[in-house]
Amino acid sequence: MRRTLQRSLVIVVLGAALGLVANAVSPRRIPFITPPKAEIPEQEFMPLTQAHELWSSGGAFFLDARGSADYAAGHIANALSLPAEAFDQHFPQVASYLTTDSVIVCYCDGTECDISHRVAELLRQRGYTNVRILKNGYTEWNKAAYPTTKGAKP
Amino acid sequence: MTKWINLLLRLIIGGIFVAAGAVKIVNPAAFADSIANYRMLPHEWINAFAITLPWVEVAAGLLLIIGIWKRTNALLIALMLVMFIIAIGQAVGRGLNIECGCFGTVEGRKVGLVALAEDAAMLAAAAWLAWREKD
Repeated sequence: MRRTLQRSLVIVVLGAALGLVANAVSPRRIPFITPPKAEIPEQEFMPLTQAHELWSSGGAFFLDARGSADYAAGHIANALSLPAEAFDQHFPQVASYLTTDSVIVCYCDGTECDISHRVAELLRQRGYTNVRILKNGYTEWNKAAYPTTKGAKP
Repeated sequence: MTKWINLLLRLIIGGIFVAAGAVKIVNPAAFADSIANYRMLPHEWINAFAITLPWVEVAAGLLLIIGIWKRTNALLIALMLVMFIIAIGQAVGRGLNIECGCFGTVEGRKVGLVALAEDAAMLAAAAWLAWREKD
């Protein structure tokens, strides 16, 4: 048993050393000590009630940043699908609905979900100036019993 | 008979660990995000884990397949699975709605009972190997 534990330690140290070396030479390296998290400014988020008002008046485009399967299983009614994982593929179709000053609300699902931020960032890089996030979007929208629809994108 | 079952289990469990480690190695930043979502580790430690853990997964999986230090590597895999089960279990218990990150973020799967059941099944297999195989 003792020998097994010693050998386990050898594998762990060996694996960790390999990881450190690989990370040091990798183009996708990350710092060994996690840098402090960049705080997302509060104004980046849109409160649920405001989002719903905009939705009711048709004053905003809702973009679903989740994968296509999640979108098909249920999404905010009238939301367009723009999966973060395949942004470039889906963007041209979505872009045909938007102008750079359109009010855009990105959402995903889950309090820790950050793909809506990724989509928002990519949109800003393309010149869209009015992009906001609906935090924990699909869950909160559902909790409020606001309208949703099922079905894959057209 | 047992010999063949053990060989099969080694190939399956080792293969899964090599594959799961490899996808995390390809994108360490995404794996670091996944770890962060579990809200278990102190923030500063997350990257260190994301850098090293996948390589331990691959090393143990590969050695288990090849048949070097079979008991050691089966035990190590069992320990990692216990760690994963604790991580997923506390996430489910706290009601975190997060990606599993088990096979990178590509599978888009949320943590939940399915992920727990898979890990439990793998743990049973790894524990069996750690018990029956020799180094």
